Amino acid sequence: MTTPRGRSLTLRDLEVTGEGGRRILYVPRLQIAAGSAVAVRGPSGAGKTTLLYALAGLVSPAAGRILWDDEDIAPLGEPARAAFRRRTVGFVFQEHLLFEELSAPGNAALAALYTAATERAAIRARAAEQLSRLGLDRSAARRSDSYSGGERQRIAVARALAADPDVILADEPTASLDRANADRLADDLVALARHEGRTLITVSHDPAVHARADRVLDIADGRLAADTAQGAPGAAHA
Amino acid sequence: MPDAFLDGWAALPVWLADLLLFLALLAPAFLLGALVLRGFAIGPLLSALLRRQVWVSVVFVALIAISVGLGAGLIAQERGLRQGTAPAADKFELVVAAPGSEITAMLAAVYLQPSDLPLLDGETYDRIASHERVEIVAPLGFGDSWRDAPVVGTTAEFVAYLSEGLAEGRHFAAEYEAVAGARVPLGVGDAFSPAHGIGDAAEHGAHGDLEYEVVGRMPLTGSPWDRALMVPIESVWSVHGLANGHGPGWDGEIGPPFAPAYFPGTPAALVRADSLAANYGLQAEFSTETTMAFFPGTVLARLHALMGDIRQAMSVLAVITQVLVTAGVLAGLMMLTRLLAKRLALLRALGAPRRFIFALTWSFAVTLISTGAALGLLLGVAATRAISSIITARTDVLVSARLAWPELHLVAGFVSLTAVLALLPAFLTMNRPVIRDLRG
Repeated sequence: MTTPRGRSLTLRDLEVTGEGGRRILYVPRLQIAAGSAVAVRGPSGAGKTTLLYALAGLVSPAAGRILWDDEDIAPLGEPARAAFRRRTVGFVFQEHLLFEELSAPGNAALAALYTAATERAAIRARAAEQLSRLGLDRSAARRSDSYSGGERQRIAVARALAADPDVILADEPTASLDRANADRLADDLVALARHEGRTLITVSHDPAVHARADRVLDIADGRLAADTAQGAPGAAHA
Repeated sequence: MPDAFLDGWAALPVWLADLLLFLALLAPAFLLGALVLRGFAIGPLLSALLRRQVWVSVVFVALIAISVGLGAGLIAQERGLRQGTAPAADKFELVVAAPGSEITAMLAAVYLQPSDLPLLDGETYDRIASHERVEIVAPLGFGDSWRDAPVVGTTAEFVAYLSEGLAEGRHFAAEYEAVAGARVPLGVGDAFSPAHGIGDAAEHGAHGDLEYEVVGRMPLTGSPWDRALMVPIESVWSVHGLANGHGPGWDGEIGPPFAPAYFPGTPAALVRADSLAANYGLQAEFSTETTMAFFPGTVLARLHALMGDIRQAMSVLAVITQVLVTAGVLAGLMMLTRLLAKRLALLRALGAPRRFIFALTWSFAVTLISTGAALGLLLGVAATRAISSIITARTDVLVSARLAWPELHLVAGFVSLTAVLALLPAFLTMNRPVIRDLRG
C-alpha cells in the first residue's frame, strides 16, 4: 500500500437530531486512520446514512466535532462545507445518479463544471484515467444510459475520484447490482482507494463489502454498537 | 437627465440611437448572466437538462413565442398599415364632400371603400371647379364593378395626375373607354361589361350590352386604385339613367367643364390647388354648412394617431400577457425542477456550490425565455406578413411587414425583465433541502 494521503477522522460527541430535536445519531468517540477502508453496517433506520451525510457535511450536527485531520467541519456554514466536499470528498450513492444525457466522461468529470477554470483540465484528465482503470468506454458520443447497471455504478466511482479526493464516502454502492457486478465494484472501490491511500468509508449491507474492509462499524439505534477490526491486507487501524 | 445628454442623444443618427437603446434594454439580462454564470461551465449540464425535458421545454418555448409574437406582430402590423396607407393618400391633397364623416368620405374617395355618401350638387361643384386657385378638380362616380375591380367614374385629367404617366396605352378620350389599374387583369384592347353594384350583390347584365374598351394601363401606385377601372364620369352617370353632366348641344367631348344644371352629383370632389397655401385657403373656404373640405393626409394622421393609441393600449395588454405567460412558465419551471430535484441535490452532495444550482436553474429558464422570444419575433413578423398580404389583396394598399427596431426593443425589454423574474425560481431551487431530495 502507498503512504496514506487520505485524511484521518475523529468524531467527538457527535449528535445529530431530527425533527422536533429527536436524537437520531450519537457517537461519543470514533477515530479512523487515514487511508483505511471502513465499512458501516446496521439495520435500516439505524443511522448509517445519517452518519455518512454528517461526515460529508451534508447534515449539520446538533453537537460535537467532526475532525478530518485537524479540520472540524461541524461548525462550518453551508458554503464552507460545500467547498470541503468539493475539495476533500468523493461520493458514491446507492443509485448511480448519473445525468443520462451526458457521456461517461461527461458524468465522470462533472466536478469540472463548478470548479475553478484552472482545475478543469486536471479533473477531466483524472476522470478519463479512472474510466480507463475501471475498464469503461471513454467515448464522448455514447450516452451514459446506454451502459449496464454495473458500468454506470463504475462511472459513478470514476466521478467520485475525478476531483482527486482524500476521502471516499459510499452509500450502499452495491445495493442495486447483481452479485458479479457487486463483487467487481467492491473490488474496484477498495483497490482505487488503497491505490492512492485514500480513506474509504462505505455504508453497506453487503458482506462482500464488509469482507474487503479494514474495519467494520456496527450502528444500531443511532449508536455505535460495535467496532471490529479485520485483518485485511494493508489495513491501517486507529 | 442632463440637457447635454439629451442633446447628444438627439444628435445621434436614428439607427445608432435605436441600436444603443436595444443594447441598453438587453444589458440587464447580459449583466445578470455574467454575474450569475461567473466561474461556471454550465453548458453541458444545461444541454443535458434541456434534452431531458425536451417536450416540456418545447411547450414552454411555444407559449412564450406565441405571447411575444402577439406583441411584436401588433407593433409591426400597425406600422405596416401606417406606412402602407400614407403613400396611398399622397396624391389626394384636398377632398370636398357633403357634410358628414371625414373618415367615411376619405375611405370612399381615397381608398375606394363602398359607402353611402350624400352628394355634392352641380352648383357647388362648379364653384370649386371655377375657383381661380384650383388647378385640378375631379368628380367621382361609384356603383359598378367588374369582377372584384370597382369601376370608378372620373376625368382623364385626374387619371393622368394620379398615374404620372401611363404604363401602357393612352388615357380615355371617349365615353366607353377605360384605363385599368396595374393589378386589374385586363390588357389594352380588352373589353369588359360592368356589373351594377359591387361584390356578391353585383347584378351582372344590369347595364345590358354595355362594354368598355381598355385603352390604357396605369403603373403600380401601391394604392387601391391599382385594382380599379377608371372610366369617364359621363358614362357612369349615363348608364345609371342620369344626366351626363353636359347640357343640350354637347359635342361629345368628355371631361370638364360640366354644366351645373346637368350635373347629377358627386360624393366627393378631388381637388388640387396651385399651391400648398392655396390648399389651406380652399379648405377654409369650403368648410361651410353645406360642404366639408378636408386634407386626407390630416384625417389619416388622426386615424394613425388613434391606431397608435389603440396599439399602445394593446401593446400594454400584450406585454402583460407576455409577463403572465412567462410567470406561468417560471411556475412550471419550479415544478419541473422538482422532477430534477434528485440530480440537483446530487450536485450539491458532490460539492457544487449553491450558486451553481442557482446558475443552472436560471440559465435553464433564460434559455427557454430567450429562445421563445426570438421565435416569437419571427412568428410575429411571419404572422404580420400573412395578415399584410391579406390586407393588400383585399384593399390594394401595399402593407409590408418587416422586422424593425421597435419589435427588437420590445423583445430586448421582455428578455431582461423576465431574466430578472427568473431569479426567483432559481433562488427557491437553490435552497431546496439536499438530504430530502437525495432520498427522493
